Order: sequence, then structure tokens, then C-alpha cells
Amino acid sequence: MPLLNCARSMDSNSSLETELKKARQELAGYKIELHQTRGYLQCILQNSEDMIFATEVGGILISFSKGGEKVLGYSFAELIGTYIKDLAEDPVSFERFFTSSQDEGPTVQLDIPFRHKEGGIVHCNVSLINLMNRESQRVGTVGVCRDITLWKKIQEDLVRIDRLAEIGRIAAGVAHEINNPLAIISEASGWAGVVISDAKGLSPEDREELEKATKEISHQTKRCSSITHELLDFARGSTPALIEFDIHDVLRDSISFLKPELKHTPIEIDTQFMSGPLLMKSDPKLLEQVFVNFITNAIHAIRSKGEDKGYIQIKTLSTNSDVEIGFEDNGTGITEEDQKKIFQLFFTTKAPGKGTGLGLSISQNIVKKLGGTITLDSKVGVGTNFTVRLPLS
Amino acid sequence: MNDQSTIRVIRVLLVDDEATLLEYLSKRLLRQGHTVKATFSGEEAIEVAKQENFDVAVVDLKMPGIDGVETQKRLREIQPFLQCIVLTGHGSIESALESGYEEAFRYLLKPVDYENLVTVIKEAYEKKIKLQEAKFQEELEKLHHHGMGARGMRNAIAELRKIYGFE
Repeated sequence: MPLLNCARSMDSNSSLETELKKARQELAGYKIELHQTRGYLQCILQNSEDMIFATEVGGILISFSKGGEKVLGYSFAELIGTYIKDLAEDPVSFERFFTSSQDEGPTVQLDIPFRHKEGGIVHCNVSLINLMNRESQRVGTVGVCRDITLWKKIQEDLVRIDRLAEIGRIAAGVAHEINNPLAIISEASGWAGVVISDAKGLSPEDREELEKATKEISHQTKRCSSITHELLDFARGSTPALIEFDIHDVLRDSISFLKPELKHTPIEIDTQFMSGPLLMKSDPKLLEQVFVNFITNAIHAIRSKGEDKGYIQIKTLSTNSDVEIGFEDNGTGITEEDQKKIFQLFFTTKAPGKGTGLGLSISQNIVKKLGGTITLDSKVGVGTNFTVRLPLS
Repeated sequence: MNDQSTIRVIRVLLVDDEATLLEYLSKRLLRQGHTVKATFSGEEAIEVAKQENFDVAVVDLKMPGIDGVETQKRLREIQPFLQCIVLTGHGSIESALESGYEEAFRYLLKPVDYENLVTVIKEAYEKKIKLQEAKFQEELEKLHHHGMGARGMRNAIAELRKIYGFE
């Protein structure tokens, strides 16, 4: 009997061993699976651009993804023990959202503002999901937040561009309507000039005064009509009209256009042109717009530096197929950071209302359209040098 | 300013619905010794052109009723040598050219500079005279070939003069 007993116990021993072995194998399988799942999860948490976090029941952060570090600027180490709601711009309404997600299950809310570590607001679309344990008890909350700040900015820019285009259309209409009365003013003053020069019985002084006045009227109406034409050109985004001309003439015209700007500033304009005319085939009207923009920027840079020996050098250089026009100033210079942005639409360092942020981006568009390039070289506190390179034909 | 001696008298037909503009334009052209007729619509200009000969027409593109392009086309049907200068608002030069109406002597942008307009009117006049003279010569040659007598020739020339407004 004992023998039998023994055999029996041996039998149960071996079956226990088999079971143990089976359990071990299963465990190893789970371990692998667990490992893979964890790897998968890590992969998501490390690489997703989204901010993914987990909290315990009360809302204290217990996990914060790499994407979150990018979105808000904080590392997880800095956030241990922090309530998630305190990262939101409005903790009270976030708390409300947080609580409602606990009762109602997965909840999505669009456009929640968070505070970035370095200040500024980050807008996110947030979805919250309850984190459960095996007993189906709620142990925390998982949140996935998509940063939509850039998207929002693009949308705002689009609205702005749209409004700008609308203003452009209105301006074009107004400019067009103003042309007619301008034409009449110009003709009437021309006529007055003729009558005055033929009139008898005027004292020489009076005649001179009247002639001067009518000339002034004509001159100013021409100025008005050139403004309306420019505005119409701009609104229409005119296609380049290629003609042959001397680039030096256009540069001189651009400088004289800015004479009134330069009147009250101690700025010297130094023209280092190649000798003789420099003929090229391009669109002189569009180029004038570009040159005026560069010189205006230079004047502005010198003024904001408070430089009392302002200096703008404009030089031309031609090779076989290209012409290079350089605009060098001793103004404030442009930081490296800003150099990357200056050609962007609406980027401006000027005070609100002083600059549209359109000048350089329009200039670059024009130069591109004419087959050329713009390069710059600038040092803060020393000055800036813009170079426009254009094909001769 | 007013040196009539060097200026040939040009017969100008003005067509524009802006009456005030035409008033001053006419006054200046008249003062320089030209013959001017101001009309305020394409329709009116066409009626006038049926009665009177002109060398150059200055036509506004945008008018109520028939527009400038159509007006100049019809004016030329009545007076084949008449040269038309079309005044356009900004941006419509291209549209006018695109529509294929290129037979105007020139398109000028509004508001036009008076001196520039006068220069172009003179150029248009020169062209008109040249074309007319050429046609005149051609007709004359034809007559010559047909071998008419001196009297018939004189009559024919008188007839031609009438046609081309040389009276």
C-alpha cells in the first residue's frame, strides 16, 4: 500500500510538475507579449507628435509623453506631482471637463488652451479616456492632445489674407473711380495755365504766381494718378512687361521717389554704379517697386538704430548674363532668427500700423517672377546688405 | 504756348461721357487752333461723323451705350481713314487687346497727360494723311490708266477731293 501510495504521490508530483511547466511556458509567453506591448506603447509615447498623458484618479500626472514635452516645453520630470488641470490656461473649466469624462466615458473637447513653459498659449484638441484595472475599477485618466496652434494660426492668416484681398478689391475700385475726377482736375488746371499765359493785364508777379500754382496742381494730380495706378497694378498682380531700359535710370528714379523721406534724416546715399548705362530687359516698374522697398527698409533700419551718420550704398555690377544690384546700409542689422523669417508674408519687426509685413515678400515674388534671386548678409549692430541678382534679358 | 504757325489744323472728334473733361480738352485744342467737335456718346459721334469729316477721333472706352471699341469700329466704317485713339481706364488695355480689337491707332491710359495726347493726335494725323495720300495716288493712277480726257480727269479729281474731305 505504501508503495502504491508512493506511486500515487509520484504520479501527482509529475502532474504538478507538468502543470508548473505549462504555467511557466504560459508566463514566458505573457512576458514576451507584455514586453512587446510595452515596446509598442513606448514607441507611441516616444514618437507621437501628440501630447499623451496619464493621471491617477485625482488628476495628478503619472505619465507624460515626449510629444507633450515638445508641445508644452516641460519634461515629465518637471511635472511629477502636478495636476493636469494646472497646465491648462483655465484650470476650473478643465477640471469640469475632466470630471465629466470620468462619468461619461471617452470625451473629446476641441480647442483647449494650455500654457507653454516659455509663456504663450498652445491650443489643443483633447480627448480623455478612463483608465481601468482588471476589476473594472477606474484608476485614472488617459489624455491624447493634438496641438492645433499652427493650424489655428494658418486659419487666422487665411482670414486675414482674404480680408486683405477684399480691401485690395475695394481700393482698386476706389482708385478707378478717382481717376476720372483726377483727369478733369488735370485738364482744368492745364486750361487755366493756357489762359493765364495768354492773359493781358496781369502783373508779372501775379502771372508768375498763377503759373506756379497751376503747374503745382498739374504736378500733384500726376502724383495722385501714379498712386492710383500703382494701387491698381498691385491689386491686379500685374504680369511683367518686358522692355529694354537702363537699370541705372530705375535706381535713380527709386532714390528720387524717396527724396521726401530722406529730407529730415542724416542719411547719405552713395551710388557706386558701373560707368555708362547698364541696359537690361526686364520690367522697370516692378523693379522700381522692389528697389524702393529695399531703400525704405534701409532708411527704417538706420532710423531705428538712431544712427546720425546714416549710409546707404547702392552699387551695380554686371557679368555676362547677370546684373547684381547691392543695397548696403549701416542700420540695425537683422538677427539670424529674423533672417529666416523676413520673406514670410506678414512678418514685420515694425510697430503695429507701421509695416504691413508685405514689402519683402512682394519683392521676392517680383524678383522670382523676373528670373532673379535675392540674397542677404546682415550683422546686428553693423548693418545689412541685400543683393538682387537679375538676368540681363 | 500757343504757336499756331507750326501746328497744322487737325479736325478732332472727341467722344466721352465725362462732359466736364471734354469741355477743358476742347478748349485747349481749340486754343491751339484745331477744329474740335465734342460728342458725349458713341451714338452721337456716329451721327456727327455722317455729316462731318474728321482726321482723328479720341474715344473713351467705357461709355453708356455702345462702348469705345465698337464706336471706333463704326466710325471707321463711315470714314475709313479716320484714326482713332481709345482712352481706357487702368487694366482695360489688356482686355481690349485680348478681345482682338487692335485696329485703333493707339490705346492710352486714363488720365492722359495733355501734352502726350496732343503728340499722339499729331502722330495719328500724320498716319491718316499718309494713308489718304497713298489711296489718292492709287486712284489717280487708276484714272490715268483708264485714259480719261483732261476734263474728265479734273472732274474725277474734284470727286476724289470731296470723298476724302480735301475741299
